[in-house]
Amino acid sequence: MATTVERPAAPARPRRSAPSGRGGRGESSTKLTLYVLAAVLAVVVFVVPLIWAVLRAFQPNSVITAPAGLSALSKLGLGNFQGLTSEGHILRAVGNSLIVAVSTAILTTILATSAGYGLGRFRFRGSNVAFALILVTLMIPFQAILTPLFLELNAMNLTNSRLGLVLFYSTVNLPFGVFVMRTAFASVPGVLEEAARVDGAGTLRTFTHVLRPLVVPGMATTALYAFLAAWTEFLGALTFLTSENLYTLPVSLVNLQLGAYGEVNYGFLAAGAVIAMVPCVILFVALQRYYVEGMAAGGVKG
Amino acid sequence: MTLSDTGTRVLAREQAAPAARRGSRLGPRSLVHPPGTGLALVLPAVLFVTVFVLAPLVFAVYISLTNWPLIGPYKFVGLANYESIVQDGAFWQSVVYTLTYTVIVTLPILVVGYLMAVVVRANRRGSTALRTIFFLPYVIGLSTLSFLLVLEAQPGSGAVNLLLKALHITGGETAWLVNGPLATGLICALVIWAVSGLTMVLLISGMQSIPRELYESAEIDGATWWGREFHVTIPLLRRTIGMSLILSVIGSFLAFSQFYILTQGGPGRATTPIVLYIYQRAFVQLQVGAATALSIVLIIVVALISAGQFWLLRERD
Repeated sequence: MATTVERPAAPARPRRSAPSGRGGRGESSTKLTLYVLAAVLAVVVFVVPLIWAVLRAFQPNSVITAPAGLSALSKLGLGNFQGLTSEGHILRAVGNSLIVAVSTAILTTILATSAGYGLGRFRFRGSNVAFALILVTLMIPFQAILTPLFLELNAMNLTNSRLGLVLFYSTVNLPFGVFVMRTAFASVPGVLEEAARVDGAGTLRTFTHVLRPLVVPGMATTALYAFLAAWTEFLGALTFLTSENLYTLPVSLVNLQLGAYGEVNYGFLAAGAVIAMVPCVILFVALQRYYVEGMAAGGVKG
Repeated sequence: MTLSDTGTRVLAREQAAPAARRGSRLGPRSLVHPPGTGLALVLPAVLFVTVFVLAPLVFAVYISLTNWPLIGPYKFVGLANYESIVQDGAFWQSVVYTLTYTVIVTLPILVVGYLMAVVVRANRRGSTALRTIFFLPYVIGLSTLSFLLVLEAQPGSGAVNLLLKALHITGGETAWLVNGPLATGLICALVIWAVSGLTMVLLISGMQSIPRELYESAEIDGATWWGREFHVTIPLLRRTIGMSLILSVIGSFLAFSQFYILTQGGPGRATTPIVLYIYQRAFVQLQVGAATALSIVLIIVVALISAGQFWLLRERD
């Protein structure tokens, strides 16, 4: 799904007390000092650990397990990543995670857009029931239906399968996606659709030519959430996947950590975790606008 | 069909034609959508939710009444699984542990999230960047962060120990992950660090919708900063605060990854929360029937907490 990003990260834009902000006018210097202190503290507490983690990925196991010191920072190299490439498990897991997360994002967005269109722009008998049915699943944690779900997927030959995982993740992400898409469709002015109707456009054409441009932000939000959820999900993947060649990245990393692939190499673990981290950071920083929109539209989420 | 003679509109008719064929004859002013389109659009989503959430839910009730092993035949045991919950000491241990964990993290998450929101709520220079920074750990996710913490918690070499040693608090040889209380403390610190950003985001939008005049009049009345927070911000945000509390309590009740990755529930059962215990019963001890009865209890508890969330949302409208 292609989305246009006009606003890349660049959050540090100087914006002097926009109307919504408070404290711009006549701000005391104490307040400003506190703000600067808080900002410095934030960087130390939240950014330094992440930078440290990235540096770890470039340190060999021998350095990571040695008494830590600043000298460790000079012994950086690509050894872990080369090691992961030749070792194979983690690299294959990255591929699996990518396939599963991208497929989940696509399927969730298609299902949610379709349902959002139906619920946001059509009045039909049972629409309230359908919406309630989808929303009520927000109250049922998938962690608590794991055993019946496992047996059901097993009976459908969908355990130990990337497809099974994609179907499961898409369902988990669906209530939120439907909520976002329904709001997106419902907020399109009726006049636009009326015009399309007068011109004789059908359902599909009304969607592709009139509504789509207006709901693309909602679709981006849905896809982003679904991708991130699938990319980081652990319990479901751990339960449903049994063959090593299908493991997603978190499952593969836990095997690495518990020594299933031979002697534990913390350098590989750090490199693997950083590979897991990087797409989240990049996607979030680049598409933050959609993420925050989702928060606002969804309201209900965990 | 009302169609003008311009080229684009002819094209529109061609595009619309298949849809019209599927539907009934359409009068000049009737809807262009064939009947049932709305239902057809919603149906796939309803189908997914039915097959992968509602059916398992019903199935769960059935399984919980059997002695279902993962492999092999099963038979009905009535309410025996539920009756044995009462005597399941390990389960109650995990319940107590989960409640303890929830009590430890909930308030700090709210306080830290609130403080973050206070720092970044006004649009000052750099406040957007700070929001991003505060929220980043939540986006990275607890599973990935747990893997990174594994190496930093090692005695002698991890950053946690290095830091405490540099501050002369410990000798730097603490084996965090093999000691129940220490591991719990470390996991709680990780969770507070990682998820407070979510509370911040929820609170910011609430804070920004509070009319500025309220603060100005409080200021004229001579209210201090604390006074304004306690008498203006917090009362007006009580529903948002309630929502974020419910979200973090549900999150704590369903906690799994950080425990599985960092301690595997150990040493012994010392750090085993409910979901991990159910997972072990079902997929390690292969007692699916008993595990599912425990799941039903969990579903009821979480559903009750979620109902509170919907009630809060309803109140807002």
